[in-house]
Amino acid sequence: MYNSQICTIVRCANFYRIIFSNRHRREIVYRIRQSPLVKKIGFNRIVLFLVLLAMYCFFAVFAKNFVSYNRLLSAMNYAYFLGFLSLGVTFVIATGGIDFSIGPVMFCAAIMSGYLLTHYHWPLWLCLISSVVIGMLYGTLNGYLVAYKSVPSFITSMAIMQISKGVASVFTKAQSVSWPQLVQENGWYRNLIKTRVGNTYIPVGMIILLTTAIICAIVLNKTKMGRYLLSLGSNKEAVWLSGVNVKKWEMIAYIICGTLAGIAAIFFVAAYTTVQPGYGDQYNNEAIAGCVMGGTSMGGGLASIGGTFIGVMIISILQEGILAIGLNKNYQLVITGIIVIVAVYLDVISRQKRN
Amino acid sequence: MGEIILTMKGIDKTFPGVHALDNVDFELCRGEVHALMGENGAGKSTLMKVLTGIYKKDKGTIIYDGKTVEFTNPREAQQAGIVIVHQELNMLGHLTVAQNIFIGREFMKGIRIDDERMNVEAARLFKRLNINIDPTEKMSNLTVGKQQMCEIAKAISHEAKIIVFDEPTAALTESEVNELFEIIRDLKKKDIGIIYITHRMDEIKLITDRVSVMRDGAYVGTLISKDSTKNDIVNMMVGRVIYEEPKTESKVAEDAPVVLKVEGLNAGKLVRDVSFELHKGEILGFSGLMGAGRTETAKAIIGADPKESGDIYVNGKKVEINTPEDAVKCGIGYLSEDRKRYGLMLQRNVAENSTITFLENFMKGIFIDNKKENNETEKYIESLAIKTPGIDQLIINLSGGNQQKVILTKWLVRNCDILIFDEPTRGIDVGAKSDIYKLMNELVKEGKSIIMISSELPEILRMSDRIIVMCEGRKSGELRIEEASQEKIMHLATLRN
Repeated sequence: MYNSQICTIVRCANFYRIIFSNRHRREIVYRIRQSPLVKKIGFNRIVLFLVLLAMYCFFAVFAKNFVSYNRLLSAMNYAYFLGFLSLGVTFVIATGGIDFSIGPVMFCAAIMSGYLLTHYHWPLWLCLISSVVIGMLYGTLNGYLVAYKSVPSFITSMAIMQISKGVASVFTKAQSVSWPQLVQENGWYRNLIKTRVGNTYIPVGMIILLTTAIICAIVLNKTKMGRYLLSLGSNKEAVWLSGVNVKKWEMIAYIICGTLAGIAAIFFVAAYTTVQPGYGDQYNNEAIAGCVMGGTSMGGGLASIGGTFIGVMIISILQEGILAIGLNKNYQLVITGIIVIVAVYLDVISRQKRN
Repeated sequence: MGEIILTMKGIDKTFPGVHALDNVDFELCRGEVHALMGENGAGKSTLMKVLTGIYKKDKGTIIYDGKTVEFTNPREAQQAGIVIVHQELNMLGHLTVAQNIFIGREFMKGIRIDDERMNVEAARLFKRLNINIDPTEKMSNLTVGKQQMCEIAKAISHEAKIIVFDEPTAALTESEVNELFEIIRDLKKKDIGIIYITHRMDEIKLITDRVSVMRDGAYVGTLISKDSTKNDIVNMMVGRVIYEEPKTESKVAEDAPVVLKVEGLNAGKLVRDVSFELHKGEILGFSGLMGAGRTETAKAIIGADPKESGDIYVNGKKVEINTPEDAVKCGIGYLSEDRKRYGLMLQRNVAENSTITFLENFMKGIFIDNKKENNETEKYIESLAIKTPGIDQLIINLSGGNQQKVILTKWLVRNCDILIFDEPTRGIDVGAKSDIYKLMNELVKEGKSIIMISSELPEILRMSDRIIVMCEGRKSGELRIEEASQEKIMHLATLRN
């Protein structure tokens, strides 16, 4: 009896050693990676999803009243506009470029169209459209310079970041713009993120964001455009020599990115109503972090819309969670900054491994 | 040959899913040139990476200079006297020769770098090796061959006892090769052990003492170079006999229609007034030294480089080609000499790399028809004998020869009538080489026409129906295969006018 117990303990210890010996661990990870289901969804995405769950559980334990529908809705306020930004920048990063202008462009679109609404009394529907168009114009300018004039995307997008901030300030004479509240006239646009039905809110924003994400995923993986974007991100010269009009396709990536930033503007004001000129930079990093965390490679050629979506969720929950455990807004900046570095660092490592 | 300086015994290395080295033995003596041969993916590079500490071995022992060693990084190996001269040179073009040689261990004068002393030391080093290079010259001004010699000098300056050459002659001209061999013979006399990785059979007899052959990660055997024949080695490498004899006469009729005509093409310094015709069903060889302007001519034709002047006619009709897109529309496909830089999309899979030229053909509405794409790719994987675990395998995981076949596939998928192959067999193994030769012969039989740019004279003589030789951007001669010989081509290639 006693003996057999010892035997069991020894066996367990042995088993433990086997599991955690380097070689077997690698073998096990390799087996898991090769199983068809994991291959289909993607190993990294599964890990990322587990990180999201773990994080939620962490806040659920350590923050007061974190687990509630309303809390989740408020976290999603952040996720909607960030999601659109991040989806857009995924296309640009897939081509091997980068866009640091999306945050300020989103602000510029929100401010200008808001000003048109409140000061020039344009109809609301036209203002919403103009927001999208403004984003698209910035994206087109950016894409033209990068694709046709071969200016590095790093530089053009930095410049456009400044231009968009400046334009917004000039347009409103440096005043902040407040979009109408739900109860006011023209306030129905706020229903775009959540609509009250009876006593509960329906997260309309989530439905729209998910639909957009699915469309983006289809575009990226199933259409000619997506194939070309990923291919030219992998090796632009090779695609060019294969007889593809790479300039056109590269520019389109930036247009998509700008347009989605214009849409993001609508969801930003729907959540927060007030926009101040001169801000918006921090959302660049958060959007890029969400994208890179999700498995889109900074080197181009690899992108995952599903990953971007989960990455955005992680960042949004984190923003809400940090406040919920009693830390102030400044900690958000520190922690998101660290996440950006870690995500990009992991990307660099995996690229080195591949080579 | 002196005493044994290096013994590798029972080296074993496994990557997830691949047994890269399987119980490999290797031995090197002082003053010996020991060739290491095998097809791509046979494990030669992996073995050398284990030796120099880039990879950690799973099993086996390395005895170097009488002691058991295990290097953890290349720097340690270098300090112990084992140096690799890489195939791709790691030189910094904007620095001088001397600065490159002493990089990382510059002579200092206080806090300033003592350039003068470095120049003197470098000059002394060159003199010792009988190399004629000015140490104050900028590295980017040197030819590839001279740069390689600097790399060798750098290796010697590390007090190397073993030098590993990884395909040193892949980018050299004939005369540079001879110069290199002189240096290697000199190194032998200095009792330095040399491991010589190569794909070129002709070099084995010329320069090496012994040949070790690897196949699929395993050690096959070692031969004494002077007692073995080409076929012996090839048999060991691939386990089957393959060898094609040179072409003796053109297979193209005199009156075959002209499919491509280039007239008075000018584009930069290296394409001056080039005119030629390509006939249907012909393999037109482009020969010449490095920097003769062959690749530049091809790039100007397909619109990858801007043209200054000149006319291009396809099937008798004058065409405007300003971008590669236009070229592809005219049915001209260009296979680049630098497959990593201009050919492969490393992060994408085999199917995606194969169909990039003709995606329009695989559309179903706005969506890509994956089934059609996969079927088509599968077809070519089979017919070209591409070794890959599947069509969804990332191309980076394939060996060089198989990568080359995939890039070829993309032009077969596009079904171009005129194919420009720039160094189609550079850096690939004998088996894949022979497959590609066979494919080219089949293509011309189907009525396609091929321009083959090659630096290897045996390849030019074996494959071409007609040969154009270039020198310093000009066409210096044209030979029919019946009258061509290595000597004649070399004469034209150095004919400066």
